[in-house]
Amino acid sequence: MVTTGRRVCRSAGLFALCYAAGTFVEPLHAAIDENAATRGTSPAVAAASDLKFALEEIVAGFSRDTGIAVRVTYGSSGNFARQIAQGAPYELFLSADESFVMQLADRGLTLDRGTLYAIGRIALYAPNESPLVPDPRLRDLIRRVRDGRSGRIAIASPEHAPYGRAAEQALRSVGLWDAIAPRLVLGENVAQAAQFAASGNADGGIIAYSLALAPPLRERGRFALLPESLHAPLRQRMALTVRASSGAQRLYEYLQLPAARAILERYGFALPED
Amino acid sequence: MATGLSVRVKQATPFAIDVAFDAPSGEVTALFGPSGSGKTTLLRAIAGLHRAEDISITCDRETWTDTARGIHLPAHLRPAGFVFQDYALFPHLTISEQIALSLAHRPAAGRRARVAELIAMMRLDGLGDRRPAALSGGQQQRAALARALARDPKVLLLDEPFAAVDWALRESLRHELMTLQRLLSLTTLLVTHDFEDVAKLASHLVVLERGRVTATGTVQDLTARNAVPGVTDWREPAVALDARVLAQDSTRQLTRLGATGLELEVPTVDAAVGTTVRIQLAAREVILASQRPEGLSLHNVLEAHVIAIEPATHPALRLVHLEVGTTRLLSLVTADAARKLALAPGAPVLALVKAVAVEAFA
Amino acid sequence: MDWTALGLSLRLSLVTVLLLLPAAFLLARGLAYGRWRGRGFVEALVALPLILPPTVVGYYLLVAFGRASPLGQVFESFLGHPLVFSFEGLVLASLLVNLPFAVQPMQNALAAIPPAIRDAARCCGLSPASAVRRIELPLALPGIATAAVLTFAHTLGEFGVVLMVGGSIPGETRTVSIAIYDRVQAFDQPAAAAMALVLLLIAVTALAVTNSLARRASRR
Repeated sequence: MVTTGRRVCRSAGLFALCYAAGTFVEPLHAAIDENAATRGTSPAVAAASDLKFALEEIVAGFSRDTGIAVRVTYGSSGNFARQIAQGAPYELFLSADESFVMQLADRGLTLDRGTLYAIGRIALYAPNESPLVPDPRLRDLIRRVRDGRSGRIAIASPEHAPYGRAAEQALRSVGLWDAIAPRLVLGENVAQAAQFAASGNADGGIIAYSLALAPPLRERGRFALLPESLHAPLRQRMALTVRASSGAQRLYEYLQLPAARAILERYGFALPED
Repeated sequence: MATGLSVRVKQATPFAIDVAFDAPSGEVTALFGPSGSGKTTLLRAIAGLHRAEDISITCDRETWTDTARGIHLPAHLRPAGFVFQDYALFPHLTISEQIALSLAHRPAAGRRARVAELIAMMRLDGLGDRRPAALSGGQQQRAALARALARDPKVLLLDEPFAAVDWALRESLRHELMTLQRLLSLTTLLVTHDFEDVAKLASHLVVLERGRVTATGTVQDLTARNAVPGVTDWREPAVALDARVLAQDSTRQLTRLGATGLELEVPTVDAAVGTTVRIQLAAREVILASQRPEGLSLHNVLEAHVIAIEPATHPALRLVHLEVGTTRLLSLVTADAARKLALAPGAPVLALVKAVAVEAFA
Repeated sequence: MDWTALGLSLRLSLVTVLLLLPAAFLLARGLAYGRWRGRGFVEALVALPLILPPTVVGYYLLVAFGRASPLGQVFESFLGHPLVFSFEGLVLASLLVNLPFAVQPMQNALAAIPPAIRDAARCCGLSPASAVRRIELPLALPGIATAAVLTFAHTLGEFGVVLMVGGSIPGETRTVSIAIYDRVQAFDQPAAAAMALVLLLIAVTALAVTNSLARRASRR
């Protein structure tokens, strides 16, 4: 009975420790991190995965200037549109495709029809160890696929990722889609596709230009920017949802300021004229 | 029945039972029968652990179960002590804790004293802080008894208490139980398939077979008539009866025992004058004579008369029913001997019993 | 190292254990000792999350508790926000998915108590409630502890259901297992490795504790 009691106490102690960890670690860490704000006033942002590195820089600047911490979740635009429709508490939605924003606007889930914030581009990327040689006309890729020498090629899922759809359109434009389809690996979003492409388990992939430019990928491989003529334009639109707090609104405005636009440009996005 | 236990159980499923009997107050009643006869089910019904379509249990005029009137006193509210076949001692509690657990019906103040009392009574001194795993088989049984007695029960229910015990231990545990019974005079129900338990401990007997009662009566009466169903086939006919210690003769190392109309001298029995002991007398140990013998080692020559003669298991033998005073005895003789002595119902005869032949259980 | 996610995961696990264990105990007891019809069916239902892919569970949860469903609307009126994509939604999903981990060890432990012991408890004057408290609970304690440890560890590792029902909202539904997934996608190997190691250590500890509890139980 004594040893059983001791065991119960040990378990109780473990639980107490975990609860303590759960409740005290955060405020402790928050106290150390001078930019942290409580969860209540920290806006939740849904952003297309191609913005992964670009938006991180922009948000860092925003938090520095305003003291507002932002919680960003990256994923595929189609997925986010569905989640927002189902009541996900995002306050600002940066889509890689305007139709998703329009759909939400039509259903009254956004404050207005939003703003076009960037035009996206796609690139063919191959890690250093891959035999694939990227070029804007995909010549090496076409040759390799036709000869049956190609390894796996990663793209985002065309169903709910705009960059995946653009990749499909590009492959169709060069007449490669049917031949390459069995070799494709589909990522849930374009960042996952980039991860597959860079991991060395695939020969490469057609991913967002903004991701290919980012240091982790640029250092590990080569890429070629694909011509706009190969796919429908990636018109990237953002909008505040009906749940938007004042913090989200400030971020929305900040994203349209020169400082943010400069960062977007650096990551290969074309900027729409105001 | 005014006091004591009155039991009636009738059910069809899971197996058929149709039983009614009374267990007299303050005495040990044995429920005897082969396995599967329903004995344990009856015991559980009395304890309130088993429910069936038609049950009526009354104890000392208090109704415990009456399905007809919709009465069922829950098991935990019945003043009944149950000793299970494998003792069912709680493995995680010490003996003292288990006994204390059963004392919830008493005010908190006197409980510790009562625990000490019971531990002393069952000779478990010094073992109170041990768990069941640290006790021997005999100690576990005494602990189970102590726990049952802690309930201040009106009825003590024992389910094959010696089944889990080896032969050597069995006899000492029987003595234990006899001493307890002498001390407390509790209405006790003893379930067993071993007739030795019945012969040594019980005063009343209910014989069960396949859920039905095949015989009831006192142990003395049923054994003297050789009328216990299922036992007469294989057991040597023997009479079991109670006798009082009349005198102790330390010089001759003999004890004088007496039942109604019957006195016997036996080798010294370790019991005080006035106490009751149980004796068994096998029929084959009783010699019949037409005249008093001389020069024999015999101590007991009893004047009897024949009540009946019946065939015995062996064709050459006869079982003679005798009466000594008002006490019935049995004698197993050859048919030849019966003819020689011209034995017939009503005829006077002398019953010769060796002192050694009397099995005394004290 | 995403401390928010770790804290969230630990809190989710703790809340799940505290809410699930009492209810699971009652269910385990009913399955261990009950003789009612349909018992086998309920046992199969309880075991279902062991076999179903988490995405199937997640799908049915979305159907049953999503915004459009009547149940979802009931919850939303209570909570003030939709059940899906919230911590409360994760808790609900977690309670259902962990049912077999909570019920089965306790059911086995309770069933292992000899019927004679339970009868003896009643014959000792213990009311049914007291018998549970003083006899069944102590004797089933290793099983209860196993249920708690397994539920806790399993909740920490939950991924498929959490992702489908909760999304990946930082501070709200981004648990540590999702954070690992997220960090890998962001090419942040060090953070992913650190969190994976923490989960691995917790899993190993949980298994060690469970095994030693099982050995204790068999020694009784």
